[in-house]
Amino acid sequence: MPLVAAFACPHTPQLLVRPPTEDRALVLRVHAALAEVKRRLTAARPDVIALIAGDHIEGFFLNAVPALAVHVGARAAGEFGRYRYAFDVHEPLARAIVEQCIEAGFDLAYTQDVPLDYAFYVPLHFAMPSPPVPIVPLYVNVYLPPQPTPRRCHAWGRALRAIVDARPERVALVASGGLSHFPGTERYGAPDFDFDRALLASLAEGRGADTARLTGEELDKAGNVELRTWITLLGALGETRAEVLAYEPSWHHGNAVVAWPA
Amino acid sequence: MSDVHYFFPPAAAYPLNRFLFALKSDAAARARYVADAQATLRDYGLDEATRAALAGFDRDRLVALGAHPYLVFMAQVRLTMEREPGTFEYF
Repeated sequence: MPLVAAFACPHTPQLLVRPPTEDRALVLRVHAALAEVKRRLTAARPDVIALIAGDHIEGFFLNAVPALAVHVGARAAGEFGRYRYAFDVHEPLARAIVEQCIEAGFDLAYTQDVPLDYAFYVPLHFAMPSPPVPIVPLYVNVYLPPQPTPRRCHAWGRALRAIVDARPERVALVASGGLSHFPGTERYGAPDFDFDRALLASLAEGRGADTARLTGEELDKAGNVELRTWITLLGALGETRAEVLAYEPSWHHGNAVVAWPA
Repeated sequence: MSDVHYFFPPAAAYPLNRFLFALKSDAAARARYVADAQATLRDYGLDEATRAALAGFDRDRLVALGAHPYLVFMAQVRLTMEREPGTFEYF
């Protein structure tokens, strides 16, 4: 079964907890774009959402730092502030991904029990189709150097697409992350919106493969370490042209919501 | 420490990063720190320079000591959310 939908979404927790530091109108415009993702996801009738996100040192700490990992448990649960969440994991697809990726030369780590980071929850909070479907959490290490290279992420995305295309389920792929932001650094109030705009223009022309040639240092300098999740998705999508549903630069974050025709 | 924003966490900073991770992700550790900061810091085996940097949550000093910038950031956010829950969900 081919892919039935593909999106990229931001996950900045301010979208969820709405502190007074934020521009209310901007946050509501991002919510509206995520509502459009929910509408389209519901219409696409996926059996499962495979969600590619970076862990914010929540599921994985310095006791083990997997470059690429899959949650192959029964349920994936976590919390952020007053929010408590849990999702069924689609075990057959998760297991097929770990087994077939290892056969294909991607030595994935797997887990059956780590807390689910808000990078997964925020897009699902706003865009989980109705009725809800199980998920497969796919992890890319974005915050603990050395991270996987963009080239490797893109190749992993191609491998994921080959696996998904041979599955019986209707699969939606969603990347969670970005765009430019610098949490915890002196650049927090000064994201690189020029990088984001050039990237989105390039994706709209179907040039996603160009991202595989970025370096880790370029991503770090542009506040886009999390772009590795998008690059993975782009590997799965090839030259498909992106439709930018929203780009809303806030004082700390380039909020981008993007759709690709499946 | 480095010209990149997110750098390899030095092994010597592991106790500091472990403490920041606990503040960020472990509600019981956070509550204990709010109740008795000094005792909690001693239990995590943190040296005096690290304890001094943590007293004011001085980001630049903590990062210079090898703290992961994201852990500093989110530990502080979670402490704020615990101390002033009313300031969130403003709209």
